[in-house]
Amino acid sequence: MDDRKAAIVSEIPRLRRYARALLRDRDGADDLVQDCLERALTRLDNWQSGESPRRWLFTIMHHLFIDRMRKVSRRGETAMLPLDADEALAAPAEQFGNAASREIFDALQAIGPDRRAALVLVSIEGFSYAEAANILGVPAGTLMSRIARGREELRGLLDDSSRRRAIRIVES
Amino acid sequence: MSGRDFTERDIHMALDGELPGEDRAGYEAWLAANPDMQARRTRYAGDAEALRSAFAGVLDEPVPARLTRAALGEKPVVVERRRPRWWLAAAAALLLAVGGAGGYVAASLGGGSHDDSAQDQLAEEAIAAHVVYAAEKRHAVEVPASDLDHMETWLSNRIGMKLVAPNLSDDGFQLVGGRLLPAGGHRAAMLLYEDAEGNRISLFVTTEPAAHGKGIYAQSGEGPRAVYWLDKGYGCAVVGSLPDNRLSEVAKRAYEQLIAGMIS
Repeated sequence: MDDRKAAIVSEIPRLRRYARALLRDRDGADDLVQDCLERALTRLDNWQSGESPRRWLFTIMHHLFIDRMRKVSRRGETAMLPLDADEALAAPAEQFGNAASREIFDALQAIGPDRRAALVLVSIEGFSYAEAANILGVPAGTLMSRIARGREELRGLLDDSSRRRAIRIVES
Repeated sequence: MSGRDFTERDIHMALDGELPGEDRAGYEAWLAANPDMQARRTRYAGDAEALRSAFAGVLDEPVPARLTRAALGEKPVVVERRRPRWWLAAAAALLLAVGGAGGYVAASLGGGSHDDSAQDQLAEEAIAAHVVYAAEKRHAVEVPASDLDHMETWLSNRIGMKLVAPNLSDDGFQLVGGRLLPAGGHRAAMLLYEDAEGNRISLFVTTEPAAHGKGIYAQSGEGPRAVYWLDKGYGCAVVGSLPDNRLSEVAKRAYEQLIAGMIS
């Protein structure tokens, strides 16, 4: 196996995690990863050899993700809205281990895509501000404000869902 | 210690490992003097941990073969599968039952020249997609019927053949919308239709290079059935829980329009 391809293969688990945090369903996330890998193969020359392919791959995937989000918002879909409580409960259970993870997942989906991507790159994927800003193609200051707003939004959404949970317990 | 002022921004920087070491002591002193900020730091740190742990398991999941193949630039592998013998008898009985209503499905089991495993696979994938997505209320489709042109262009490009959504309103079915799905090593388009009573049927179309054949496929017991065709580089299945003769009628109309659309 070509060394460069082997290095790309070893990044697949992290690309899948990033995609899963960006998108709602597992198949859709894996489709995004597949699109990313296919595009990466056609642009192997853009990857500076000797460097980890991670940042390069994440950059490719981010562009694909943003394209997809633009199409969704042009079509006026409601993909960004938080799910109703009953629908959240109907989400496939095997995909997210427990109720707490499901709440996190739902809350994350409700955050605007730009903020979601910034927060996920730094908080989950552990990129530095400089690396994340580079992947997203924005200045560091923009990245920082997306993270700050994203965290604040996440906090509010998690508070909402724990309030809803409390109401459900009281009602039942 | 630096004498600078701290703000909420420093909480984020500290959490993300971006606070310079020389600011650390001043930052901690600032937190200690500001219980509000201290509480905020604790909360953000807890949320960040919850976020990490919610997705930690993904790294341990086995990587789907299609992704490894995509990274290596390999062609998808066709998995050989055997059709159980009981299936032949069940399918033969079904075909006899519907032969009168939809003559086009007749005698598909006679020749034996077609690729059984490809047929099984197409029908099973179509049924699986129907079971999963037709049950969804708000997330059944990716592109709604209101955006028909975009949907047709997008799905046609993705599956690699010209796809025109059949009009099934004569049968009482209106298009809900469509979505893109993985199908073996290929991509498939799924179009979902609904009648006035809320019954849903789906049309599953994929590019399937080799096999030929047609028939009706049912998984054991209750549940939706698939009427399918494999021909000249594409495969198509209509899935629903309608009575077989009605499903066959609707499927025939869908099929005719699909063919007409492909060459239009």
